[in-house]
Amino acid sequence: MTAPAPGPVQASRLPGVAFIFKKALISALVALVLFSLMIGIRTEAGPTGQLIYWTRFGDLAAMVATVFGGSIVVELLRQWWGPVGTVRIVPPSVQSTLAVARRAIAPILLIFTFLVPVIFYDQRYILDLGILVLTYVMLGWGLNVVVGLAGLLDLGYVAFYAVGAYSYALLSTNFGLSFWVCLPLAGILAAFWGVLLGFPVLRLRGDYLAIVTLAFGEIIRLVIINWQSLTGGPNGVSGIPRPSFFGIPLTPGDDGLAAKLGIEFSTTHRIVFLFYLILALALLTNWVTIRLRRLPIGRAWEALREDEVACRALGINTTTTKLTAFATGAMFGGFAGAFFATRQGFISPESFTFQESALVLAIVVLGGMGSQLGVALAALTMIGGFELFRGFDQYRMLVFGLAMVLLMIWRPRGLIGHRAPTVFLRHSQAISSELAREGRG
Amino acid sequence: MTAPSAAPMLEVRSLRAAYGKIEALKGVDLDISAGEIVALIGANGAGKSTLMMTIFGKPRARAGSILFDGRDITDVPTHEIARLRIAQSPEGRRIFPRMSVAENLQMGADATDSSEVDRAAGLERVLTLFPRLKERLSQRGGTLSGGEQQMLAIGRALMSRPRLLMLDEPSLGLAPLIARQIFDAIRTLNRQDGLTVLIVEQNANHALRLAHRGYVMVNGLITLSGTGAELLQRPEIRAAYLEGGRRG
Repeated sequence: MTAPAPGPVQASRLPGVAFIFKKALISALVALVLFSLMIGIRTEAGPTGQLIYWTRFGDLAAMVATVFGGSIVVELLRQWWGPVGTVRIVPPSVQSTLAVARRAIAPILLIFTFLVPVIFYDQRYILDLGILVLTYVMLGWGLNVVVGLAGLLDLGYVAFYAVGAYSYALLSTNFGLSFWVCLPLAGILAAFWGVLLGFPVLRLRGDYLAIVTLAFGEIIRLVIINWQSLTGGPNGVSGIPRPSFFGIPLTPGDDGLAAKLGIEFSTTHRIVFLFYLILALALLTNWVTIRLRRLPIGRAWEALREDEVACRALGINTTTTKLTAFATGAMFGGFAGAFFATRQGFISPESFTFQESALVLAIVVLGGMGSQLGVALAALTMIGGFELFRGFDQYRMLVFGLAMVLLMIWRPRGLIGHRAPTVFLRHSQAISSELAREGRG
Repeated sequence: MTAPSAAPMLEVRSLRAAYGKIEALKGVDLDISAGEIVALIGANGAGKSTLMMTIFGKPRARAGSILFDGRDITDVPTHEIARLRIAQSPEGRRIFPRMSVAENLQMGADATDSSEVDRAAGLERVLTLFPRLKERLSQRGGTLSGGEQQMLAIGRALMSRPRLLMLDEPSLGLAPLIARQIFDAIRTLNRQDGLTVLIVEQNANHALRLAHRGYVMVNGLITLSGTGAELLQRPEIRAAYLEGGRRG
C-alpha cells in the first residue's frame, strides 16, 4: 500500500474520495489478475483422463468485489484510526476502566479455567479442547523462556516434546514405572537434550541458530522413526499407561478411585483429572518462569536477548546463561510431552512434526515475546480458533493467515507487547525539584 | 585521593592481540597505579578499544601478560575477571533498551554476586552521582537520552563496586555540556571514592585534562606517555589530536 503523497498537512491527513477509489481499484485489479486463474477457471481430470474445466465467473466477481469493498473499508478505518503514532485522547474514565479490565483479565481467566470442568462436566468435547489448549499454553510458556526471555530463536522445540513423550512411553511400557516417577525423568532427559543442543549453537544467533534448531527437531524425529527396535518406528508406542491419582488408578475396578470414594465410576473422571493435571503443570511452568525472571539468572536471560556484548562486558557468563535457558525451556517441553503421552495412550513420530514447533513458536510470537498472559491468550485463540473453523476446513488456514497478518500490522509486538519490569522500588521516588536541580541540568 | 602505591594495580606487558590475521596490538606496555586516572588516546583503529577488551579477556591475548594486583589474569575467563572487581563500560554505551533503568543497574551487580546490602549501597552511590537516573528508575532504558544512557552505562559498571573502571569513549556522540558532566562525575569518583580509572578517548583534550597520566597509541603501539599536562603541551599531540588535522 502506498502512503499518501506528502503534501500540505491537511491534504495528507485526509486523502480525498478519489484517492480511496483509486487505491480500491488497484487492489481490485490485482485481485482480478490473481484470482482469474485461481478461482475463475476450475480444471479437473475427467473419468477417461481428459481435461474438463468450467468457469466460475460469479465467484470471481464476488471475490473482486470483496477486495474492492474491503480496500475501501480498510482505508476508511485507517483514516479514522489516524496515522501511526497518533496520540489519541481517551477520556480518563475510559482509560481507568481499561486499566482495571487489563489487570482483571488474568485472574478472571484463571478462575474460569478452574471452573471449566464444573461448568462443562457433561461436554466431553469442551473438556478435551480445554486439555489441548492448556497443553499448548504450557508449551508456549516453556518455549517463551528460550525465545521470549533469552531471545534464542528455537525452531525445533517439538524435539523436547518428543523426548518427554517417548521417555514416559518407553520407561512405563518397558519398566512399568509410574507416571509420577517418569514425569521428573522426562523433564530431566529433555533438559539434558536441551543442553546437548545448546553446546554447538553457543556461538550462533538469529537465522543461523534457527536453522540448526530446525535441523535438530528433524534429527530427533528421524531418529525416532528409524530406531525401530527401541521406538517402534512409524508404528509408534501404544498401550501407554494412563496416569493414576497418586497411585490410585482411575478404573472401574474395586481398587479404583471411584470405588474408594464410594461414587459411581465415570470415564469423565479421568478427563477431569487430566484437565487439572495439565493445568497444574502449566501453572507450575508459569510460576517458575515468573520466579526466575526476578532472579539474576532470569535477568541475565533478558539482558542476553537485548545485547550479548554488553552482557559479556558486565561479566555475565553467557555460556551458562544460554545453556540454562535451553535446559529450562526443554524441561517444560519434556513435562508437556510426558503428559501428552499419558493422555493419548499412543504416540508416533507423526505427532512431532515441524508444524508443531511452528505452531508453538507462533503462539509465543503472537502472544508478545516474554508476556505470560499474552502467550496464554494466543494459545487460546489459536487452538480454539482452529477448532472454531473446523467446519470451514479449506478456509481455515486462510483465516489463520489473515489473522496473523492483521495482528502483525496492528500489534507488531504481539497481543501483549508490554514488558512488566521485575525490579521494584521499595520506597517511592518522589523527586523534589531541588534534587532535579542538583542533577546539574 | 589515594596516593599511587609503588606496585601498579594493573600491569600490561608486551601485549599482543589479533583479529584473525590482522594484528591490533603489537606489543603494548601500560601501567595503572591505584587511585590514578589514566587516559588512552589515539586515532580510529589505533587499537585503544582492543586493548581495553583484551584486558577484559575478549579477544584473548596472543602473547604478553596482564597482571592485576600482581596476579596474572591473561587467561582468566571474562566472567571471572569481572569478579576481581574490574568493570567495563563498553563503547557505544550498550544499555539494555527494553529493560528498566533499575533492572539495567541491577544487571551490573549480578555478575559479582553482590549481597543485598552491597547492591543498596551501590545503587545509592550511583544515584547520588547521577541524580537524573533516580527520576528515570522505572523507565525503559531505551527511552533515555544519549547523555542519560551514558550515565546509566557508567552507573551499571559501578554497581559491581569496581576497583578499576574502564571506560570506552564515554563522550561519544554527546553534546559538549553533557560530556563535561560525565567527565566531572569521573573526577568525583576518583577523588571521593579513590576509584582507579582507565579512560579510552578520542576527545584528547578533555581526557588529558582529566587524567593524571596519558598514553598515546598509534597502530597498535604505545608511542608516547607522560602526565596529562605534559602530553597536552607536546607539539605532535597538539598537531595530531587537538588542532583538527587528524593523521592516520
